[in-house]
Amino acid sequence: MNAPLIEIRGLAKRFAKRGGRGGRGGREPAPWVIQDLSFSVSAGEFLTIIGPSGAGKTTLLNIIAQIDVASDGEVRFQSEHAPVGDAKALKPGLACRIGYVTQDDHLLPWRTTLQNVLFPLAVQGRLNGSTRARAEMLIRTAGLNGFENHYPHELSGGMRKRAALIRTLVYDPPVILMDEPFGALDAQTRTQLQEDLLRLWNLGKKTIVFVTHDIAEAIALGDRMLVLSRQPSRIAGQHAITIPRPRDVRGIMTDPQFAALYQRVRGELQ
Amino acid sequence: MTVRDAAIDLDAPAPVRGRRHAVTLGRVALAALLLLAWKISADVAGPLTVADPIKVFERIVADTLSGALVRDTYVTLRLSAIGFALGCGFGVALPFLLRRRPRLTAAVEPYIMASVGIPKYALVPLFILWFGIDDAPKLWLVGLLVFYVVFIAVFAGIRSVDRGLIDMARVAGAGEGAIAREVIWNSLLPFFFAALKIALPRAVSAAIIGEFLVGNEGLGYLIEHSRQNLDTVGVFAGIVVATALVLAINALLVTVDRRVNAWRPIERHMQI
Amino acid sequence: MTTLGGRSSIGRSDLWQWIAASLRARGDQILVFVVLVAIWQVLSMTLGSYWVGSPWGVATRFAAGIADGALLRQASYTVIEAAAGFVLGALPAVALPFALRRLPIATAILDPFMVGGYGAPKLALAPLFILWFGIGIESKIALVAVTVFFIVYFSTQAGIRALDAGLVRMAQIVGASEQHVARHIVFPGAVPYVFAGLRLAMPYAIGGAIIAELISANRGLGYLLQLGAMNFDTTGIFVALAATTCIVFLGNWSVNALERRLLRWRPPSDVTLQAGT
Repeated sequence: MNAPLIEIRGLAKRFAKRGGRGGRGGREPAPWVIQDLSFSVSAGEFLTIIGPSGAGKTTLLNIIAQIDVASDGEVRFQSEHAPVGDAKALKPGLACRIGYVTQDDHLLPWRTTLQNVLFPLAVQGRLNGSTRARAEMLIRTAGLNGFENHYPHELSGGMRKRAALIRTLVYDPPVILMDEPFGALDAQTRTQLQEDLLRLWNLGKKTIVFVTHDIAEAIALGDRMLVLSRQPSRIAGQHAITIPRPRDVRGIMTDPQFAALYQRVRGELQ
Repeated sequence: MTVRDAAIDLDAPAPVRGRRHAVTLGRVALAALLLLAWKISADVAGPLTVADPIKVFERIVADTLSGALVRDTYVTLRLSAIGFALGCGFGVALPFLLRRRPRLTAAVEPYIMASVGIPKYALVPLFILWFGIDDAPKLWLVGLLVFYVVFIAVFAGIRSVDRGLIDMARVAGAGEGAIAREVIWNSLLPFFFAALKIALPRAVSAAIIGEFLVGNEGLGYLIEHSRQNLDTVGVFAGIVVATALVLAINALLVTVDRRVNAWRPIERHMQI
Repeated sequence: MTTLGGRSSIGRSDLWQWIAASLRARGDQILVFVVLVAIWQVLSMTLGSYWVGSPWGVATRFAAGIADGALLRQASYTVIEAAAGFVLGALPAVALPFALRRLPIATAILDPFMVGGYGAPKLALAPLFILWFGIGIESKIALVAVTVFFIVYFSTQAGIRALDAGLVRMAQIVGASEQHVARHIVFPGAVPYVFAGLRLAMPYAIGGAIIAELISANRGLGYLLQLGAMNFDTTGIFVALAATTCIVFLGNWSVNALERRLLRWRPPSDVTLQAGT
């Protein structure tokens, strides 16, 4: 059995209490956002994480992506210790091995769609004929062909999300974190993007950690689902999703296993 | 702020806060350095080009004691105050007059906005020709500058008044005068005060520059007259006093503003 | 009154009313223009053309000045002073905040001096520059440069401070180095603010050139203004005023045109930095 790709042990996080000048000494303890969180992710797995709002899901992803520090606990990536305790030692994206699709698409407003998608390749020094071709292929796959030279403000919300998604895919990180990427979209677009995501995931077996607050989405997409409790977040439940692939995203609710699983998860979220 | 600070640690203290002493020390050092540079350049470039700071200081003291500087400052401030009052008065009255005549407003608005593009200082020779060489042309200059600032602010302020409030007042039986006083005036007060903060230092500055061009008293006259006499010390002394005056007015306004609006962020005020 | 159909429910009468109102507004504006010119003409006739140059006199003198190039030549001196000073002042004003971006302590030390410079009456330095550089264009350029510098400095600094941390995080995750972030995120993000500063500074550049010319010069539009005043030639003054105003509009137009070209990526709703008063 292979060692898990990502291992989280006893992760804990609390934010420094704001308010009061300087905050030196006499600080009251701030509430723990995450406490004693442990789980692992296997290579090639599609893990969905679900939890109530404010449960620290974004914080968890930020820590894994190394753009935030943990107050306690450890994170191992490919059995290496990731320096999540020390702000100065953080390596965002862990040398491009972890991709992160955030809730806000963060497309650079002054770059066209194509330029935005090529941006990671440009900064990594990997921009050449074949990577460019890959980018163009991804743009076509995501249904954005014809909009390569548009600026982000000329794209719809769904298009921007797709552009942000393929911007991460273009440089092929083995792990991709996704933070409620489809949350702000209408149901139609969301279902379409879920299908696109599964298709793209199939193309090259990546490891995906997908955070959402939508139980149906979590069941439809994931191999395994983690349920987080309210603040301070712990694992309230873990479920292997045995619905066979390829999944019918549109009709997931009609699958016989769906209802029972849904109810169980609902119960754990209370 | 470095990129890392901006992006990574939300709860790290601002990078400078902890080094407050270093910053203060640096500022004092820089000020001292600038004074030293002044002294050195005075020695190097000669008294005709750069006046010696000590001589400038002595001149300022002497002129203050003799009353000449006090007189000049008073003249400039009086000019600014009168011009300011005139500009303010018209700047407030005109929008109110236009308020009830939307058709007239629409007709004249493009011309008013176009006239903003005329540099007011360029009108001074014309004013001198028309109004003589006493205070009148300077008052026109200051008045016009203040007028435009206040007019635009009050105009915008009146435009942004909540219609609902006006309607409510009318329904409650308020006459036009009462509406103007209660609803509109109070709604546009923040715009008005913001405009005053900009207009007051600008009025003083305009008075000084007016005095460059016409008249025989005031801080501006002092500076320009000294230049014509190649009295470099006088030029420097006048500039130092004028700058200190305007900066003091700015500081005063900021303090008053802070007291009155404790919850709003202060803007820095541009002075030309 | 609207139905579910929306637009199609606006009655023909509403549309006509809107057209009529716009035409009436235009008509009013033309009427006002005619009235203003008429008043001008009457004043010129009653007070004499020495006191108020007549509209026709000004128009013909203006056209003649352009035709024989004299007006253009004088205007060009003023424009050169304003433009050269503008560039001389704006370049360091844009460069300095970027250079000091990674040295927050240096910026903090400099801050009160910059605020002082911003608040101080820079035009009051005009006689000093004339003393130093004479009555040629150098003194005008220096005055304009100092004036423009402080305005653009603060605008640029605001642009750098308005850094979107989310964009920076994104860039870091995909592997951008400090230089990459500076080049691809900080700089483009600050450009709209820099333009706001340039737009703000432009009228001050022209005004500064004119003022310095008014005090002491033998060329330029300010010189023409003083000449007109000395010769009791109000027609000449009006011509010079008109030329000055044209230059101000031209300058505004240039900055706006340049901005439109460079900032095509900006969403039209971003009005925070657009043409202000």
